[in-house]
Amino acid sequence: MSDPTGAFAADQAPAEVARTPESRVKGAMRGFAQEIGALSAFRLESCIHCGICADACHYYIATEDPQYTPIWKVEPFKQAYKRESSPFAPLFKLLGLKREVTADQLAQWQHLLFDSCNMCGRCSLICPMGIDVSALIEQARHAMFDAGLAPKELYRKAAHQRETGQPEASAEPYRDQLLGIGARFGVAIPMDKSDAEVMLCVPRTDIENYPSAVAALARVMQHLGVSCTFRSDGLVAENYGYFAGGKAWQRDISLRLINQAIACNAKTLLVPECGHAYTALRWEAADLYGKPLPFQVRHVTEFLAEQLSAGRLQLAKAATGKTTFHDPCQLVRKGGVTDAPRTLMHAMGIELHELENHGGFSFCCGGGGGVIDIERASPLRYRTMEIKLREIDDTGAETFLTSCSDCRRTFDDAQAHFSWNKAPHSLLELVADNLSPAGARP
Amino acid sequence: MDLLGFARGPALKVALAVFCLGVTWRIVGFVLLRIRREFNQPRASILKYLTGGLIAVGSRSWPHKEFIGRTGAGEALGYSYHLGLFAVVLLFGPHIVFLGALAGVTWPGLPSGLITILSVLTLSLFLAVLFRRITNRVMRMLSNFDDYFSWFVTMLVLVTGLAATAHLGAPYETLLGLHILSFDVLLIWFPFGKLMHAFYIFPSRAINGALLARKGATS
Amino acid sequence: MIQKNAALLGDILLNAGISRRSFIKFCTAAASAMALPPGMGLVMAEQLRQAPRPSVVYMSFQECTGCLESLTRSFAPTIESLIFDVISLDYDDTLMAAAGDAAEAARTKAMHDNFGKYVLVVDGSVPTGAGGAYCTAGGRSSVDILREASKGAAAIVCVGTCSAFGGIPFADPNPTDAWPVSAIVGDKPIINVSGCPPIPEVITGTLLQFITTGKVPDLDEHRRPKSFFGTTIHDRCYRRPFYDQGKFAKSFDDEGARNGWCLFELGCKGPTTYNACATIKWNGGTSFPIESGHNCLGCSEPGFWDKGSFYAPLSAPAWGKSGESAPLQILELGAGAAAAGAVLGVAAAGVSRLHQHHSEHSTDITPKGEN
Repeated sequence: MSDPTGAFAADQAPAEVARTPESRVKGAMRGFAQEIGALSAFRLESCIHCGICADACHYYIATEDPQYTPIWKVEPFKQAYKRESSPFAPLFKLLGLKREVTADQLAQWQHLLFDSCNMCGRCSLICPMGIDVSALIEQARHAMFDAGLAPKELYRKAAHQRETGQPEASAEPYRDQLLGIGARFGVAIPMDKSDAEVMLCVPRTDIENYPSAVAALARVMQHLGVSCTFRSDGLVAENYGYFAGGKAWQRDISLRLINQAIACNAKTLLVPECGHAYTALRWEAADLYGKPLPFQVRHVTEFLAEQLSAGRLQLAKAATGKTTFHDPCQLVRKGGVTDAPRTLMHAMGIELHELENHGGFSFCCGGGGGVIDIERASPLRYRTMEIKLREIDDTGAETFLTSCSDCRRTFDDAQAHFSWNKAPHSLLELVADNLSPAGARP
Repeated sequence: MDLLGFARGPALKVALAVFCLGVTWRIVGFVLLRIRREFNQPRASILKYLTGGLIAVGSRSWPHKEFIGRTGAGEALGYSYHLGLFAVVLLFGPHIVFLGALAGVTWPGLPSGLITILSVLTLSLFLAVLFRRITNRVMRMLSNFDDYFSWFVTMLVLVTGLAATAHLGAPYETLLGLHILSFDVLLIWFPFGKLMHAFYIFPSRAINGALLARKGATS
Repeated sequence: MIQKNAALLGDILLNAGISRRSFIKFCTAAASAMALPPGMGLVMAEQLRQAPRPSVVYMSFQECTGCLESLTRSFAPTIESLIFDVISLDYDDTLMAAAGDAAEAARTKAMHDNFGKYVLVVDGSVPTGAGGAYCTAGGRSSVDILREASKGAAAIVCVGTCSAFGGIPFADPNPTDAWPVSAIVGDKPIINVSGCPPIPEVITGTLLQFITTGKVPDLDEHRRPKSFFGTTIHDRCYRRPFYDQGKFAKSFDDEGARNGWCLFELGCKGPTTYNACATIKWNGGTSFPIESGHNCLGCSEPGFWDKGSFYAPLSAPAWGKSGESAPLQILELGAGAAAAGAVLGVAAAGVSRLHQHHSEHSTDITPKGEN
């Protein structure tokens, strides 16, 4: 058995462990075979090789390198589908029309499936055949994981998170760090309550980089007077299993949060400002759980917009001047949270200057899909980011908002790299700063 | 039996049988793969979910305005040869007779002269898309035997058809026989290659559109 | 009518009171019917005048006499008398006055006297079933007679689709096991003048052409003279412009039919039929079938009787017997094939799912399974 989870210690990237090419191919094919359902088969069947998806992808647009054509990123799996699982698989196999996927090919595709894909889903909007290319890429990542070809950074973090609940070890556990942030910012951090309406969690990016965002979340919840709690056994919103393509690990990591939410009888699991956590929890968790979740999952901007329209939240005008907003792909394009942030900005009287490509068509910040964590991917990532940065500059906005910590981290990184003159701000923090006291009701 | 008799007799029969067999085989062969139940809570009602699917069937026919700059010309080229092909296939008198005999109904057509002009235009568009497939680096990389052979078979039908109406190169009945024979080849190839997209395009758009609408996401 | 063939044609014609002028006129008409250059008429006339009067033996086998009826209704000026004056028709059991042994004796004599030089004209197919018993003359089967007669022939001219291609007797199921002349005789030049019946001017023109030049004319792949069978009816049809405009009559008495629109959709075989009907026409250039409102049946083509309904358009699929509904047949064929396809599809999906099932069970990564 070449089960990667059993064979390797958590701090070992399987790509660095000697595995025979056969076992890699076998792993990939097994992971792939499990993924192939009627829907993904239909997607693979439908491709007419028109190459139009290339024109949606910021990696292709920035480089004009054909290998970054989104559908090409799943080419080995298309090949494997035709040979192994398609209706004519016996013909393809017998007549030798499609070659077997090789370990070399898989290794080569690691760059295409991880380093140069943010799983942003923009390609899924351009396909004239209506193929959801990003769904295929997600499945291909699962197969790559089973081949032991997840990039080491993602693999390590996923393994660590699955075992400990934290993607990385920290000197002080996240629970204590959170309480410390509460003390520092003067806001109570509800922790481990046995019964709460809403269960909260945080991006670990916020704990490490943006403690003010953690405080803002606590403050807003306090202001709303909603009974809520963090749970020390389910604090982290991110899911590195999702990035690395370890489907079972993704399920395990999601299960921590699901179990904690059930334990405190939460009616709502509130996803903080984190895009892919929303995809993982809002859309994928229930399917991995195998039944409907006994609570609803909401993104914090969605939740706040609901409060706003229910009259439980009122906001003061915010003096942000000309403002633009970056739509995180996982929230907007893939998640459908398009109106909520705009409702909040409108309520604060913000003068919004949309980006050239906004809403569902927004370009990815460049850090999505775990790419921000893959070190060797940085040079290429910077090239693709220029598109986004230019769009932001073109709006002439003074303030630049977003609602995803990973996007924020990516833009901060760009600020340092390009000596760029803009810093991203959190929409949640802006809301926390402009709470109107009159609106709070017990 | 002469070539024409063979082409529109036994060859056509075999081709139609292979076509029906292959198409069903291919569709049944993947539709019966596992369909996972979705347990997440949909954002939209069933009604919105379904209308989302229907809308996508139409809206994906043309790129969103965000994409037009990069893909508009390419898609226009693609659609125009399809339209030319449909016009020639469906609106030429002798084709109506042929298809009408298969389907049991007929419909009005266009003057043959106009059809000839359309065929020549379509043929030039065919050459243009091949040129594009070969010169565009993305398309060249993605292309395989299927792409070129499907192109070739379709073009063969067009060329033999044009030759038959223009009486070029061989006696009419030979050209007509070749024309129908090349159509038979197309029918036989159809289920095994990308020509199947004719069956896939609308359901594929509809399913993707519906799934995105279900999440309230952009489609 | 039966004369010695020693004298030159020119002398015989003068004796018969036919002027040089009217003979040239005849030759010019014949030449133009054959689409030869106008000057050829004069050349033909001169050559014919110098030629000895050739002996012609006309044999009718399994036939309906339509071809001979057609020939005797040749409308070119005085052609009837001319053709019987120009040639020495030594034997034709339908036309000759003699009968019985006398007739047979005439045939034997002509064949003997002109051995290697006479022209053998055949109409009708040659039945070979039942030992050739379906068609006999003087107690001998047509196969025997043909084999014997062909021995001394300079060339064989097959008049009509039956002798040329088998025709109606040859059509499925061919109960008499009938064959065209070309299937029986392999060692003589054969010129096919097909048609059911052939155009009279085409018959006389072909004979003249052979007699004038002494050579077999340019033939197409079905051994028909290219001068008469070089283009299709459709190519020369006066209704062709309507085809090009896509104007088709949908029935024999609709507006389109009254307007003289193209009969393609009514099954006209003009596009695949090679003959001179649209140019020479019939009854002295009066008309031809399409002009009288009926589609061409393609009677001058091999197997015309077995190519499906006369009223099924050329581009229509040709299967099954006429009268059966094509859509119904397709439904049956398609449903059968689709059922087979569905079985294969179910099998393919089953194999894939089995594969999936195995791989899941052998490697399932459970939340607490390992560490």
